[in-house]
Amino acid sequence: MLTVKESQQRFIRLLLFFIVITLPWIAGGIYIHNNYNIPESGNVRLVNYRVDTVPKVDHSKFKILQQKFETPQQVTEACLSCHNKTDHEVMATSHWKWTRPYVTEDGDTIELGKKNIINNFCIGVSSNEPLCTSCHAGYGWKNKNFDFSISKNIDCIVCHDQTGTYKKFPGKAGLPVDKKTVFNGKTFLPPDYNKIATNVGMPKRQNCGSCHYTGGGGNNVKHGDLELALNKTNRKVDVHMGIDGANMSCVECHKTNEHKISGKLYTVSSQNKDRVSCEQCHTPAPHNSSILNSHTDRVACQTCHIPEYAKVNPTKMYWDWSTAGKRNPDGSLIVKKDSLGHLKYHSKKGTFVYETNVKPEYVWFNGKARHYLIGEKIDTSEVLALNRLQGSYADNSSKIIPVKVHRGKQIYDAVNRYLIVPHLFGKDSTAFWKNFDWDKAARTGMASIGLPYSGKYSFISTEMYWPVNHMVAPREESLSCIECHSRNSRLSAINDFYLPGRDYNSYLDLAGKLMILLSLIGVAIHATLRIVKSN
Amino acid sequence: MKRKTYIYRRFERFWHWNQALLILFLALTGFEIHSSYSLFGYQRAVVMHNVAAWALLVLIVFAIFWHFVTGEWKQYIPTTKYIKAQVEYYITGIFKGAPHPTNKTVYDKFNPLQRLIYLGLKLFVIPVQVATGFIYLFYIYPDNPAHSFDLTNVATIHTLGAFMLLSFVIAHVYLTTTGETPFSSIKAMITGWEVVDVDENEERIKHLHKAVEDSVAGYYRLDKEGKITDVNDAWLKMYRCKDKNNIIGKHFSVTRDEKHIADLENLVKRVLSGETITGMPVVRKCFDGSTGKHILSANPVVENGEIAGVEGFVLDIDEKEGLSDHVYYTVRNSAAGYYRLDEKGNLADVNDAWLKYYKYDSKDEVLGKHFSVTREGEELKKLQDIFDKVMSGETVTGVISERKCKDGTTGRHILSANPITVGNKIVGMEGFILDITELESDM
Repeated sequence: MLTVKESQQRFIRLLLFFIVITLPWIAGGIYIHNNYNIPESGNVRLVNYRVDTVPKVDHSKFKILQQKFETPQQVTEACLSCHNKTDHEVMATSHWKWTRPYVTEDGDTIELGKKNIINNFCIGVSSNEPLCTSCHAGYGWKNKNFDFSISKNIDCIVCHDQTGTYKKFPGKAGLPVDKKTVFNGKTFLPPDYNKIATNVGMPKRQNCGSCHYTGGGGNNVKHGDLELALNKTNRKVDVHMGIDGANMSCVECHKTNEHKISGKLYTVSSQNKDRVSCEQCHTPAPHNSSILNSHTDRVACQTCHIPEYAKVNPTKMYWDWSTAGKRNPDGSLIVKKDSLGHLKYHSKKGTFVYETNVKPEYVWFNGKARHYLIGEKIDTSEVLALNRLQGSYADNSSKIIPVKVHRGKQIYDAVNRYLIVPHLFGKDSTAFWKNFDWDKAARTGMASIGLPYSGKYSFISTEMYWPVNHMVAPREESLSCIECHSRNSRLSAINDFYLPGRDYNSYLDLAGKLMILLSLIGVAIHATLRIVKSN
Repeated sequence: MKRKTYIYRRFERFWHWNQALLILFLALTGFEIHSSYSLFGYQRAVVMHNVAAWALLVLIVFAIFWHFVTGEWKQYIPTTKYIKAQVEYYITGIFKGAPHPTNKTVYDKFNPLQRLIYLGLKLFVIPVQVATGFIYLFYIYPDNPAHSFDLTNVATIHTLGAFMLLSFVIAHVYLTTTGETPFSSIKAMITGWEVVDVDENEERIKHLHKAVEDSVAGYYRLDKEGKITDVNDAWLKMYRCKDKNNIIGKHFSVTRDEKHIADLENLVKRVLSGETITGMPVVRKCFDGSTGKHILSANPVVENGEIAGVEGFVLDIDEKEGLSDHVYYTVRNSAAGYYRLDEKGNLADVNDAWLKYYKYDSKDEVLGKHFSVTREGEELKKLQDIFDKVMSGETVTGVISERKCKDGTTGRHILSANPITVGNKIVGMEGFILDITELESDM
């Protein structure tokens, strides 16, 4: 028998042993608590961030700007009389040329861009110029004969107007109205050029947004992450542009040098150049957690920090041209809207799907895009990607980025097997939006780009990739691990690598669970037998 | 024979429990990372899994070091011997109340199945988990530009390892209940003490070794040339030699004065030719020049089948009454007898010489019996006194006792007795006896 003293000693010894075992666990717990404080806290660290400033000049004092301007070109000439080298800067940019150099698979460098690219919205510029070019930073691009070397046709004020009164008119090849015009219920007034010319400055959101918000013929139709609501928004929609957030203008990120504005969208560009990146201010290692920082090599910031786009107004996700042209028995146009008031069908355009608060899709991207080129043969058995974003897991320069994928059906030449640029807009008898005749529209459109049209057309499913870069959410709304690291991962489409939490070997998991179950059953049976037999 | 024994040392228990907790914790967080459930939150699970992985690695490094330093790694050397018996025991024997087919001792803690499974864990599953884990953690991480293969295989192997470890834990925990009592094994892993079989041979060697070290009987060993290679403390005390280094390597002749050297030389020669000398009274020359008398035993040291030296015991008889010089020279008896008693006074071990003195045929006849079977009357009282003294920490030497043999006859011997200690606790008594019966009768 143990004496009291002995049992006390034994108790103390066991207690010590228990403490020695638990101490490392307590230490580990404290270590984790101190070093991995979740969620991320502290201020956002920024590098290289500064707001560009230009010398303040009171333009109203310049005599040349006090003249009575009749046309916008006169304004441009006045601008260039002082800024006498700026026209060359502007005319070298893609805002003017609507093209950039593009290296084809054969290694040839061609000029490719908005000017000659095919999309699955209004398809192509050629033969539709006056409408499309109402967003050109110039005046008078009515047809393919536009002379890109005449500097007075540069539109300076669309970017530099500070009054907010300057508006280009849809269908007038980049020109504003010269008399009061009502269009689609909106009234367009001739601009007060004198007032505008004496009130110029660094581009504001409204200047950029006047074109970039409304591409595709309406607010937020194309991008999904760029829309009118951003002119005055809150940080929940966009931490950078929110009035209660950083309240930044576009050009604070899109740094500009000699009128070359950094940043571009891969729907119209293709090379890994002149990109705007989050890292330029936020560094590649912006998190407190080293685990999160290690992600940034292969996961773009946008992937986690833009959980959804089209947060205010809807964006177009689907456009089926093949149903266009139907009309009511009385010949009037059919216009259908869904319960939320989003356009569902329009005789001129076909069937649409609009969505709000859209979760992006995700793709690998190394900064290069492969575009469908005019005249290229298509494989009609599969969906045609108009701007395939390049990259893969195996390519170490690729990152996972969020994209809006705009899907649709559009017209192609069934014999020649290439996409058709239809003539949609115009006052002539072949324009589709006048006569609803695909054959005529195709014939005129194809003639304008100098390609044969067989006379037989059909419709093919296409998709376009729109990288999502704006509407960055506040930190607390960024994606948590399990959005990707889970069985129903957001990255389910990117399956060229093993993603912890998402991927597993189903046979192994089954076998493993079975093994554990059998162990438990075996133990239970064995124990039961032992008890039964011992009685 | 079973005895409560200190079987799991401190570090071993610390390592075992922390490894157990870490493996369970790694499984808990690991399967969350595997999306089997959500518990801590993915990020927290990843962080904790990584920290626990480092902790386990450190623990494993220490454990490897410990296993090699203590020689405990030998416990894991696999054997096929009894493996079938062990399997049969778990499948059938255990239900019939059959005994465990193998003995658990301090020197052989694991049964053959345990050896095999634990070795497999140590050499295969855990290294594979550590290796795949660190490849997972460092090589195939989003920010490592050098990695050249996909995570799939690494992750699959890592998951497989986790399932195997979990199944092991289930079986392991269950099998701990198959010990003496359902919780005795777990208790042993907490306290370190367990009732286990005693390995007779190992025990004997250990005890004899210790007995020789602590004994009041002097021990010596000579090489073939007659040089002294080892003595114990009792020997040094008897020869009044303060430093062991003064005697090691010297020729045995320094231990006799001139007139006795020839006798000793003769004795050593006989032993080297294979003879065993028992109970020879001799006169020694001490280091301070004085002389003393003792009874000596000597037997050949056999190494690799050849006689390599001489060893034996000496028991001091200087102060013993009733023994004249003449008596010592005519003594004829057998080798030194060894005995060991447990704390209750029961015989725990004896050697062959002891059995011969007491005229027993086999150890089994006496082991476990109380020492009272070896004495009668006054002699029993005397032995009881000695036992009590020794159990309270004293050492007794050179006591002449009259023993009671198995057949009822008596004999006389000189006895030494010293306590056996484990830690600070006296757990028994042991000592040597040298027979002097013939010597007496000659008298």
